[in-house]
Amino acid sequence: MGKATLKGLLAHKLRLAATALAIVLGVSFVAGTYVLTDTITASFDNLFKQVTQGIDVAVRSEETFGGFETGEVRDPMPASLLERIRAVDGVRVAEGNVTGYAQLVGRDGKAVTTGGAPSLGVSFNSDTAFTAGSTIRSGRLPGGPNELAIDAKTAADTGYKVGDQVKVLFQGPARTFTVAGIIGFGQADNLGGARLVGFDLATAQDVLNREGRFDEIDVAAAEGVTPEQLRDRIRAAVDPRYEVLTGAELAEDTAAAINDTIGRFLGTALLAFAFVALLVGGFLIFNTFTIIVAQRTRELALLRCLGASRRQVMNSVLVESVIVALLASLVGLGLGVLIASGLRALLAGFLGADIPSTGIQFQARTVIVSLLVGLVVTVLAALLPALKATRVPPVAALQPETAFAPTGFRRRRIVLGVLVTLAGVAALLAGLFRPEGNQLVNVASGAVVVFFGVAILSPLIARPLARVIGWPFARAFRLPGNLARLNAMRNPRRTASTAAALMIGLALVAFVSIFAASIKASTTETLEETVSADYILINDNFQPFTPEAAERLAEQPELAAVAGVRFGPWKLNGVNKSLSAVDPAAYQQVVRTTVTAGNLSDLSSGGLAVKDTVAEANGWAVGEQVPMEFPRTGLEQVPVKAIYEDNTLNGDHLLGLATYERAYADQADSQILVKAAPGVDPADSRAAVDRVMADFPNVTVRDQAEFRDEQARQIDQIINLFYSLLGLAIVIALFGIVNTLGLSIFERIRELGLLRAVGATRSQLRSMIRWEAVIIAVLGAVLGLAVGVFFGWTIVRALSSQGITEFALPGGQLVLFVVAAGLAGILAAVLPGRRAARIDVLRAITTE
Amino acid sequence: MSAAIVPGDTETLAARAVQVTKIYGQGQTEVRALDNVSVELPSGHFTAIMGPSGSGKSTLMHCLAGLDRITSGQIFIGDVELTRLSEKQLTLLRRDKVGFVFQAFNLLPTLTAAENVELPLAIAGRKPDRAFLDRVIDAVGLRERLGHKPAELSGGQQQRVAAARALASKPAIVFADEPTGNLDSASGAELLGFMRRSVDEYGQTIVMVTHDPNSAAFADHVLFLADGRIVDEMANPTAEKVLDLMKKLGG
Repeated sequence: MGKATLKGLLAHKLRLAATALAIVLGVSFVAGTYVLTDTITASFDNLFKQVTQGIDVAVRSEETFGGFETGEVRDPMPASLLERIRAVDGVRVAEGNVTGYAQLVGRDGKAVTTGGAPSLGVSFNSDTAFTAGSTIRSGRLPGGPNELAIDAKTAADTGYKVGDQVKVLFQGPARTFTVAGIIGFGQADNLGGARLVGFDLATAQDVLNREGRFDEIDVAAAEGVTPEQLRDRIRAAVDPRYEVLTGAELAEDTAAAINDTIGRFLGTALLAFAFVALLVGGFLIFNTFTIIVAQRTRELALLRCLGASRRQVMNSVLVESVIVALLASLVGLGLGVLIASGLRALLAGFLGADIPSTGIQFQARTVIVSLLVGLVVTVLAALLPALKATRVPPVAALQPETAFAPTGFRRRRIVLGVLVTLAGVAALLAGLFRPEGNQLVNVASGAVVVFFGVAILSPLIARPLARVIGWPFARAFRLPGNLARLNAMRNPRRTASTAAALMIGLALVAFVSIFAASIKASTTETLEETVSADYILINDNFQPFTPEAAERLAEQPELAAVAGVRFGPWKLNGVNKSLSAVDPAAYQQVVRTTVTAGNLSDLSSGGLAVKDTVAEANGWAVGEQVPMEFPRTGLEQVPVKAIYEDNTLNGDHLLGLATYERAYADQADSQILVKAAPGVDPADSRAAVDRVMADFPNVTVRDQAEFRDEQARQIDQIINLFYSLLGLAIVIALFGIVNTLGLSIFERIRELGLLRAVGATRSQLRSMIRWEAVIIAVLGAVLGLAVGVFFGWTIVRALSSQGITEFALPGGQLVLFVVAAGLAGILAAVLPGRRAARIDVLRAITTE
Repeated sequence: MSAAIVPGDTETLAARAVQVTKIYGQGQTEVRALDNVSVELPSGHFTAIMGPSGSGKSTLMHCLAGLDRITSGQIFIGDVELTRLSEKQLTLLRRDKVGFVFQAFNLLPTLTAAENVELPLAIAGRKPDRAFLDRVIDAVGLRERLGHKPAELSGGQQQRVAAARALASKPAIVFADEPTGNLDSASGAELLGFMRRSVDEYGQTIVMVTHDPNSAAFADHVLFLADGRIVDEMANPTAEKVLDLMKKLGG
């Protein structure tokens, strides 16, 4: 029996090659993701081990506000703490250092940006015990108030050399320094993409707003004291709100923060795409095995006649799938390593991160997961066809072939399909509208179940849909078009499941484009409805900047209102929240707010304004005291001064600037909204803004149209990345069309022979195959579009509270997708068409 | 080397083979399927080709119809010599000048009976001659079954659709390869009767390969093949005469 399977497998190498390809691509993406993230993780682990060399123990404040939304917030420690630590027995040397925002200005006068990593100003330790972590590439460490050092990557990017005069932007006033040195970190030129500007301690404390305070205290142990012993001693000596770590723990923690970001976003995103690819691949495998079993009905029946049991028949199909899965997964694993290197280069380019080179990390987990995923997907997909194979009665071997009799359990299919689809929709909606559990997982699994439901239902509508879609082809291309249409309609299950693979890719592409269009439309809407400011000023890396900019803008006579907006984290009963802080007098002139209770102007003396839904949810009314926990001052009772309707820009909480200035250590604007004075020519007001902002090159000035365009550009950038990743799923689906057509040709060889015998030319046969492929592809695209529009609509609706208030349908783009799918179908038909045209007429019509 | 010349009581030849040899394989496995065969098939005649299995009768038909290439010699359909034609020209010749009825699987399962009948015309993109088509369809008695798919037709009906299709494009010559091979005798007789009438009424030329003396009796002439050669011929055959000759040749 095993031998028969193996022989069958070898006999159909070609058709299995396409099947295997689907697995290869899916698995390679899984393996590639793991290899990439493992390699990056190992790189950063090594990097931070290098950087923390010589540090036996590090002390810092506990993280008071954390999480993705707010970023890491640690309160600086008082200088007195250093003295206390120095007094601990076993401390050889202890030094404090600081970290804050500092951004270099390039030779072109523009701020030097990053790909998303922070721009940091730091102090360098002076004791040789701690300086081993960084490597001086040229010059020396900075000393005195006029010197700094920069990282080697930034030096390379900007062209700055030792001795150059450079301007640096801070949250306070900008200053000019001399480059004293250029530093690296072992092999790496920078720290995970961050731009680093280093000073001596006193200078750093001065420019980074850390006078008399430290962000971290590094300690080296005396001879004979282990880092762990010292850590425990220091821990006993200081207040428990300070975190005391060994150097190794610090390295691990720092690397973990970066790796968490990479693992969570990059890893999850890539694995999601790998999953989509595998899902599509699963459909392909299911389809291939279904066709193979149908074509082998007589062979299987013969085996049954010869005494093979049902189980043996089923196993013969499953063993085939296992062999295919293992071979394909192994190839995919190998390909994954290549993909990982490619992705890594892409990442380095995209984020500007110098990922220090470490050997490619190829862990056992990667191998196991990749093989397992490939195996499970393949065998699961082959299970149903294998079960179908067991239903072949032995007598089928003796009966004439009933080649195409897709008789089905129509009613059962309807019931099952509708139930599965509804279950998927329910899961999707639950994930979207009920904030319980992992919403993303709920939404995603709901979407997958919807795909399955639609795939189950699609054979029911494949025939009429193919009829409609095929109509223009039958009209335009006469006989080949008509035969293509009829062929697409003849086996709706096969057509539907081939199209279903494409449906998944198209649905996601359509969803992404709808989502993007809706975000753009919402931005436009918000700008038009809410923002009365003429100019919007932000830092393109979302770094806060000095309030001096807003102060100086306010002095310009051409400008009527200048409103700086500051962001900050806070906690309500231990739960992280965020807020915007504004001066209501200026803010009300640049942002339209509909107040339902109280008065926004009352925020001028401090206090809180909240969105109506938030107020309702918490039962707050004007005059109520809200227990707000701030990073610097801790718990405070803040009165509610006003309640407003959602306008996207205000967010959930608006804090009066007076309260903010007291409650937060750092005072920096995240954006400035500017309104020109009435009657001033736009060119003049723009000139006034630009004149002031020339001194703050880290802030970009945009009018409403420019702001909208910039938003659109950024969205398009991300969307294009999504498109290219989803392209993989579409390519796999196209292989599915190739495969199905190839198998169909094998099955219809006598028909093709007959057509050739009675005078159909090769090009007519090719065109017949081509239009069939196009009809299947367009069918898949149409189904995908329907599902994608549904996903888009529900998800956009669900996110209406997150600022996506408009639902936009990019009609032209969606039509373009269908056309592209059709063109792809033409491509998919090339090989099968060639094969159909090449068949030997005589053999086709004379063989039994 | 035997050349069978059908007495030419008509002035034109629908097809002819001149010293045709067809060899399959090479060296040890060489099979001489046709050995220097010459045949003339006059227009408006119904010719049957008979012979035991492996005699080369199907090969001769395939070569005459332009479905198979010959090793040496010449084949003409009308004035056109097939050996000089490209693959594409051969295809177009089959489309425009030749009709086929095979033993089985004559019809496209996706097309209705009517669409199958018109298939060669549709392939050529030609407008059917409605009046002629109607006569053919009535002659095969398929009027009520036109909208049916092949799977819904009996074997005899399917073969009659195939025969109607073979005539629909008014070809110079129709080749039928064991057309009654899968039919019961009543259905077979019905089909052959129709073929006979098409020769008598429309002057259609038909060449039929068969091994059944009763079928051969419907023809005007019978050619007998054995071992790739024409070994005998008979005009105005009856089943008995054919059977006798077969016995004689076989013994």
